[in-house]
Amino acid sequence: MSNENITKEEIAAIFPKVAETMADALGCDVEKVKLDASLIGDLGAESIDFLDIIFRLERAFKVKIPRGKIVEEARGELSESAFEQGGVVSDAGVARLKTFLGEVPADRFKTPLKSAEISKLFTVETFCKMVIRQQRAAAAAGAKPA
Amino acid sequence: MDGHFNAFTFVNRITVIQPGISVRGSYFIPEDIDAFPQSLAGEALGQLAAWAAMAAVDFKFRPLAGIAGTIEILAPVRPGQTLELSVELESVDNEATAYRGAAGADGIPVIRLHNCVGPMLPVEEFDDPQALRGHFAVLSGNGSTPGGFGGISPLTFSRDGGEPGKSARATLQIPAASAPFFADHFPRRPVFPGTLLMNLNLQLAAALAAEIPAPDAGRWNLRTISDLKLRSFISPGEQLELEATLAGRAENCATVVVETRKGKKLAGSARVSFTTGDRP
Repeated sequence: MSNENITKEEIAAIFPKVAETMADALGCDVEKVKLDASLIGDLGAESIDFLDIIFRLERAFKVKIPRGKIVEEARGELSESAFEQGGVVSDAGVARLKTFLGEVPADRFKTPLKSAEISKLFTVETFCKMVIRQQRAAAAAGAKPA
Repeated sequence: MDGHFNAFTFVNRITVIQPGISVRGSYFIPEDIDAFPQSLAGEALGQLAAWAAMAAVDFKFRPLAGIAGTIEILAPVRPGQTLELSVELESVDNEATAYRGAAGADGIPVIRLHNCVGPMLPVEEFDDPQALRGHFAVLSGNGSTPGGFGGISPLTFSRDGGEPGKSARATLQIPAASAPFFADHFPRRPVFPGTLLMNLNLQLAAALAAEIPAPDAGRWNLRTISDLKLRSFISPGEQLELEATLAGRAENCATVVVETRKGKKLAGSARVSFTTGDRP
């Protein structure tokens, strides 16, 4: 799924609520939650915090966010074996991630990139975009004729 | 008596279940134990949620204690009472279970849990899936024989720092693997129960609150625990540092932040609210 058509205005519209939600989950000041902050590197999030953030975002925005959705959507039509092998993301997989996670500075993509370290790339903007995609999906599902 | 499904098990019977949606059950608190902390009523709800979640994923994964958004402490319970347990599952998949629940005794609400999330991990790391399926069938049928829980040997901590009325620090030595509850929690991987850890944190928070003058010479009562988060497994024999810090004070309310550390790593945290006066 492409995300180039998510506009800065859309992100700006939901960012304050996302930042507040993340600050509550992480127990930090909301001012610390910048759009380009890395959740793990800058905000000190651990795996349990990711779960917390996702469930809080679901409640705050009334959307359903399937776990693992970011990587699944980043992979797109690439098969799992084409995306990663032996726990390392392939060149094609890294290229997909760089496109999908366009908000992540290029120098944060390590080579080789381990699958387990993909979440280290995620920024606050990554989660804003995830919420917007789910809002759009929900709106599209709701708009479909019965 | 074998410790498995006895030493730290707080569901005797599952009375109604819609796997992945909701579950009701009960637990008889043995009469011959000294006390039954309210945190164990929370444990009973977590265990009931775990049975419903495991059944929903064919016992391939099980939830572990992780996050509790809010826990309302409503009334004490005592040995000899029967806990009536009710859990609504908000979602279940191979990654996490989200739920809310309530427990009562003799028609009086005891504890309510809101916005709880348990990360799901492979069952086989912790227990025998076949044994779990078998016990689930027992619970869903006529139920298990009450009385397996023999109480928890007093777990104590030595308070060793802080400033009266502002903060309190203590060192906690986790019992060795021979402690009975480890045989049940869990047979293949002993983990110190998060609810016992929280109970100790609450004791430290209450000791700190007792140092804060309450209005009208009243006393502080524990009301809610919020943003509870357990970050790592605690194994037998580990040493932990507990800290309680006064984070806020209003006329009739005091908020204490509790944190548990293994060395420098934060292992758990929560916000604990005390108020004066009768329970609402």
